[in-house]
Amino acid sequence: MILSFQEKGNSALTLSNYGWLFSHFRFQESLINTISITVLALLFELVLALSIALVLAGAGRKRIIQALILIPLGIPTIVVASNMRYLFDTNGFFNQILSRLNLISVPIDWLGGGVLTLFSIVLSDMWKVTPLMMLILLAGLERIPKELVEAARIDGSSSWQELRFIILPLMKPFITMALIIRGIDTFRIFELPLALAGQAFPVLSSFAFFEFRNFNNPNTAAASSTVLFIMIFAAILLYIKLTGSGKETTV
Amino acid sequence: MNRIIFLLISLIFLTSCSAPKESTLKVSMSLSDEEWRVVKEEIIPKFEHRNHCRIETLQIEAGDLPQILKSQSMAGKMEIDVFAQDNMQLSILVEEDLVENLSGYRGMIPKETEQSLISAGEFNRKLYFLPFRPNVQIVYYNEDAFKKYALNVPRNWDELIRVAAVFKQREGVGRILFKAWGNGPTVTQLYEFIVSAGGDPFTFNDPGCLRTFDFLKKLWPYVSPDSTKAKWNTSNDYIARESVYLMQNWPFGINVIIEDYKKTNIKTYHGFAGPKGEAHVIGGDVLGIPKGSKNKALALKFIEYLQSREAQKILLEKLSWPSIRTDVYSTVSGWRAPYFRAVKEAMRYGVFRKNVTYWADFERYMNEAFTRIVIKGEPLKQVLDHYAEEMKKVANKKK
Repeated sequence: MILSFQEKGNSALTLSNYGWLFSHFRFQESLINTISITVLALLFELVLALSIALVLAGAGRKRIIQALILIPLGIPTIVVASNMRYLFDTNGFFNQILSRLNLISVPIDWLGGGVLTLFSIVLSDMWKVTPLMMLILLAGLERIPKELVEAARIDGSSSWQELRFIILPLMKPFITMALIIRGIDTFRIFELPLALAGQAFPVLSSFAFFEFRNFNNPNTAAASSTVLFIMIFAAILLYIKLTGSGKETTV
Repeated sequence: MNRIIFLLISLIFLTSCSAPKESTLKVSMSLSDEEWRVVKEEIIPKFEHRNHCRIETLQIEAGDLPQILKSQSMAGKMEIDVFAQDNMQLSILVEEDLVENLSGYRGMIPKETEQSLISAGEFNRKLYFLPFRPNVQIVYYNEDAFKKYALNVPRNWDELIRVAAVFKQREGVGRILFKAWGNGPTVTQLYEFIVSAGGDPFTFNDPGCLRTFDFLKKLWPYVSPDSTKAKWNTSNDYIARESVYLMQNWPFGINVIIEDYKKTNIKTYHGFAGPKGEAHVIGGDVLGIPKGSKNKALALKFIEYLQSREAQKILLEKLSWPSIRTDVYSTVSGWRAPYFRAVKEAMRYGVFRKNVTYWADFERYMNEAFTRIVIKGEPLKQVLDHYAEEMKKVANKKK
């Protein structure tokens, strides 16, 4: 952090690095991209993870299915990114399937930047890390007393009402934990966007990396890392404040 | 019993005294896994055997070497005896007085070595670095695709844009690759284009630079969408998987595309000329000895060995590394021969990038200029004038 307030070769404190960062087009892009990935990824992952957890909660042979679902977690992120390139490349499987179905005549550039790349990265991230969120939410679901749900059913509540008035409120601490853990991870996403889209879709981590590694500027790298840290911290505080620190809710 | 113990101890003592102590030579390079495999299995053992020594290899990236040498030098504990370093990252080693002056060893350079490669290791008329592996980009193209549309390979910029437009029109997508991933891959290409337009890349806004960026703006709509992800390794995949039909890359692609992917329809030639001629950046590595090296004599012997016909031939055949020696190319036979003719031709148009301590800043500005002008479509003159000013400030600060 101290480095971020100093210029290269000068120990005097200054805000010039931050001024430079926020006026630099690449940093602005990285910031927007990072926030976009985080918001979308968390939303989609939460919905998907909760859906899978709800299905698994009532399923038999749970352990075997859980083990299978957890497999993507064990795959290194860079391997996932390399494989996803085979899907999303202009000559990749997606374009080939779409072409054979006559849905496209010209390959779609999934990884050239923009909204398509955003969704490609979010989908790739979802594939790998949704199981972790699912695991946390499943643990939460298993803690919900069955009697509550049964009582609600006897009183004539629908599945949606059960979910909305019983399950979700009781799941609050687990949803909070899942979102915070995944949120921290998603904010600092690095390998996936770099390997998939390179500088066509910069994020804060890759921006800091290039500042340090390629442009030999540890001070601006430190400044962008500090910005990232502040964002993560602020997001966690805001979330906890809005949701009431994730304490269990009485139903 | 005591006698037996005494005899055993004497035996051990005599054995350790009589066995010659092997020196260890510590060699630093920045290589890929496949490159290290060839160096460790085919180059190093011969030298170790002939010189009764052991070589310890160190993987140190070009960007990290100066700092590591500086730290070890300040600590008075140099742990590296000889290094191979990117020919673009040499000036800082000389300025910080980290390397030995090798002017006295000029005579050990093989007479078959290209003179320009020797000059690249000189600073202030002193020889600090010895030639090792030059590198030059060549053009790879898909012969079948060109035949399909009755096209000839482009020999100049006008033909390049025409060929790009034909492919885009006929196939609906660009098939010419321009390495636009950023950093080194993009800047090297830009450097070549600017020099071949008669410009000095460090000025940013001389007529050659303006002409280059204007041309690239016109070319951009016709290039492959894979260009934004294209760098030195991914480019080989794109042409091998036929998502592009023409690209420039280093000769290591020959092994990947033709030998590994078995794409014998991918051919090569030296390249195309700009308005002021043809220019190809000569990259690659040179060899140096850090000050404080504990094994200078052995290091020099190792350098001599690496420059020998024997070693250079292995590196050329196994890794497709262009050679410093003109006599090695004649030994290339079989399927490699036509590809290395292209390399040898491209070397004729070789240019060295200016070795400056502010290369990182130059690289950043050149990348940003390219992104803003060519990809985002910002006004050419305005952007280039801006970076011209920034570059002047940096150059003046470093003086």
